[in-house]
Amino acid sequence: MGFLMTTIIFVVVGVVASVLVRLCCNRGPSTNLFHLTLIITATVCCWMMWAIVYLAQLKPLIVPILSEGE
Amino acid sequence: MKLFDDLPSMDHLRSEDMSLVQVIIPVESAHRAVSYLGELGLLQLKDLNEDKSPFQRTFVNQVKRCGEMSRKLRFFGDQISKAGITASPCPASQQVIDLEELEVRLSEHEAELLEMNANSEKLRQTYNELLEFKLVLLKAGGFLVAAQNHAVPAETELVESIYSKKDDESLFLLEQPEPSSKSGLRFISGIICKSKELTFERMLFRATRGNMFFNQAPAGEQVMDPVSGEMVEKTVFVVFFSGEQAKNKILKICQAFGASCYPVPEENSKQMQLTREVSLRLSELEATLDAGNRHRNKALASIASQLWNWIIMVKKEKGVYDTLNMLNFDVTKKCLVGEGWCPTFAKPQIKEVLEHASIHSNSQVGIIFHDMDSFESPPTYFRTNWFTHAFQEIVDAYGVARYQEANPAVYSVITFPFLFAVMFGDWGHGLCLLLGSLILILREKKLGSQKLGSFMEMAFGGRYVVLLMALFSIYCGLIYNEFFSVPFQIFGKSAYKCRDSSCSDAHTAGLIKYRDPYPFGVDPRWRGSRSELPFLNSLKMKMSILLGVSQMNLGIILSYFDAKFHGSSLDVRYQFMPQMIFLNSLFGYLALLIVIKWCTGSQADLYHVMIYMFLNPTGDLGENKLFWGQKELQILLLLMAIVAVPWMLFPKPFILRKLHTERFQGRTYGILGTSEMDLDHDPDSARRQHHEDFNFSEVFVHQMIHSIEFVLGAVSNTASYLRLWALSLAHSELSTVFYEKLLLLAWGYDSVIIRIAGLAVFAFATAFILLMMETLSAFLHALRLHWVEFMGKFYHGDGYKFKPFSFKLLADEED
Repeated sequence: MGFLMTTIIFVVVGVVASVLVRLCCNRGPSTNLFHLTLIITATVCCWMMWAIVYLAQLKPLIVPILSEGE
Repeated sequence: MKLFDDLPSMDHLRSEDMSLVQVIIPVESAHRAVSYLGELGLLQLKDLNEDKSPFQRTFVNQVKRCGEMSRKLRFFGDQISKAGITASPCPASQQVIDLEELEVRLSEHEAELLEMNANSEKLRQTYNELLEFKLVLLKAGGFLVAAQNHAVPAETELVESIYSKKDDESLFLLEQPEPSSKSGLRFISGIICKSKELTFERMLFRATRGNMFFNQAPAGEQVMDPVSGEMVEKTVFVVFFSGEQAKNKILKICQAFGASCYPVPEENSKQMQLTREVSLRLSELEATLDAGNRHRNKALASIASQLWNWIIMVKKEKGVYDTLNMLNFDVTKKCLVGEGWCPTFAKPQIKEVLEHASIHSNSQVGIIFHDMDSFESPPTYFRTNWFTHAFQEIVDAYGVARYQEANPAVYSVITFPFLFAVMFGDWGHGLCLLLGSLILILREKKLGSQKLGSFMEMAFGGRYVVLLMALFSIYCGLIYNEFFSVPFQIFGKSAYKCRDSSCSDAHTAGLIKYRDPYPFGVDPRWRGSRSELPFLNSLKMKMSILLGVSQMNLGIILSYFDAKFHGSSLDVRYQFMPQMIFLNSLFGYLALLIVIKWCTGSQADLYHVMIYMFLNPTGDLGENKLFWGQKELQILLLLMAIVAVPWMLFPKPFILRKLHTERFQGRTYGILGTSEMDLDHDPDSARRQHHEDFNFSEVFVHQMIHSIEFVLGAVSNTASYLRLWALSLAHSELSTVFYEKLLLLAWGYDSVIIRIAGLAVFAFATAFILLMMETLSAFLHALRLHWVEFMGKFYHGDGYKFKPFSFKLLADEED
């Protein structure tokens, strides 16, 4: 699963979450926008965290050197 | 940008619209109107009588009466808790009692209680005295019997003198008129506190020059000391002496030491009779005391059932009168005038409520309610719900938002728990936090009505924050691949394997990467390897920089939206743009370099690149070249950053001065930059005066401070985000140590006891150090990152909160 694929999965999850929130708690346009902001912020934060860790391991400069115990 | 203009306004982003209103209430409907307004709870009245002392106000008598009543209620509360009766509030009995009636009833109850208390005090005192008398009789009788039996010839004359006493049976030595010639051995019996007994004896010895015989024995039972009200050990004593002067001295010493003297008859039979009488009286008194206590407890119980309702009622009345005191009488003295703030959406509701009040109070004139122009800044009001309340409190703890300023709580709801989780990332600990927060949430109703300790109060108030923190911690724990510091292979096979099948050089040259990177999170093979820390440190430091640059950019973008909302194009062009250019040309470029280095796997040294970008921009990059055109790009970015500094420093004050002169001195309309004037310079000066003088040097210095703060802050704030790395490293190391050195060590032994002990110590260490201390620590640091680094980019936070007159708020702010 490449980088692009997982990014698309994150986007899809975000969209599904916002649709669900809109369906279950529809309380007027300003509140809906607030909920949408929360979902987008959460999705972006989670995606950034994953992407940073993924990219850091893409072409690493060092490799695991096992310690004596293993 | 057009897209943003078309969006509806977002909930919670800016304060509700507030309007200044004036209410004119005729006197007869004043009390009712204010009570109804208190029920509604959406109007904050200004105190128009600020310069008057509390005694000059109109309704001072009523306030005093309410104060008296709440004092009586507090007295009842004390008595109830002392008697140990649990108050079971019965809200069912909602009798609508008038205030005067309540006052009368309260004074009746108070008088009754005070009388009962005094009576039972007296009874108790008598009971104590009788108890002491009984003890003295028991023990002293023993001495006297012994003294009689030891009628040794050598002491015969002494003993005879005892017998030579009149058979008058007037046992009360103290009252017996002694003829001065009578010199016989007499005695005084009494009881004294055990602690004072030794000094008492010595004093008696000195006072009578040794001519006395002291005998004492412990009383055996504990007696209630009337002075201190506690049960103390007492000692019964008998002093044998002769002579009138000795008697006086001894009596005075007894008085000084607080010893109570009780007369004891010498004959055995009389002693027994007296003892029987005293015991009888004691049991009678006990019964009486019991009956009295029961009666009192019944009265207290009946009060206790209504106490809560009464307290609320008195509080409401006091609130109403305090509010009435804030209003002014108008010229005709028939109306009360009040000014206050209310949210614009609440105006119809308030109007309706006031109409009801004037109808119900049968007044001839209706209540007038209309808008007023305001020169001062309105209070800030966010309509938070059960979920957003805690996050808004966190932001308000730093500073209440200025009226209609962007509210950082909108983003903090997510970013605060997220940054916490970056520093706390371990999904085992996250599960424990989740458990804790779910317990708090599921027992919301029960815990909400109880009175909790201050720590539990804070934890309970922030239960939804903790819930989000736990959820994000689980996510970050899965990414860091740590479950109580143990990695798992949940998301597929590791990307690393040995170079050859014998794994001979695994300890020297290490493994190789043979597949795509581990799909979700940190590869489990890193844990325990020797190069784990260099890899993770590099990863986490770069992650902190990336997250920090993103959050700071978000802050600057929020300042753009603020400037656009207030129509201040000056701010957009001369503050937002240079700030964006400066931050992104330096630290945004660094973030870009990090991503490029990761994607290309280059060996360039980023420290070197950044430092030499400043020191030697035109020099050759050599092996630090990451992409084509890097040198030219760096020179361009450096120039842009250098240009951005005077761009944010100089133009704005000059333009403001030009606008000011155009507006006031020439009296021409020109470019009406009114809104930005009022907001940008001197936010704290009263906005009542429109023709404030424009102090150019002040404005210039303010702008200079702002710019220098931004420029220097760009470096320091970016470095400050490295605490994300530091705390997550500390957390991971601590949990590794606990796991390896406590649990694994204990598990290595065969004995079950050691294993269980190791498990227990591991659990304690995890719970107290990792779950509590680290949670608090990560919470604090995430909070600081929000308050300083994020909110410092756009937030002013110098508003004041909307505090309406509301009965609900009064009930909540408990004693």
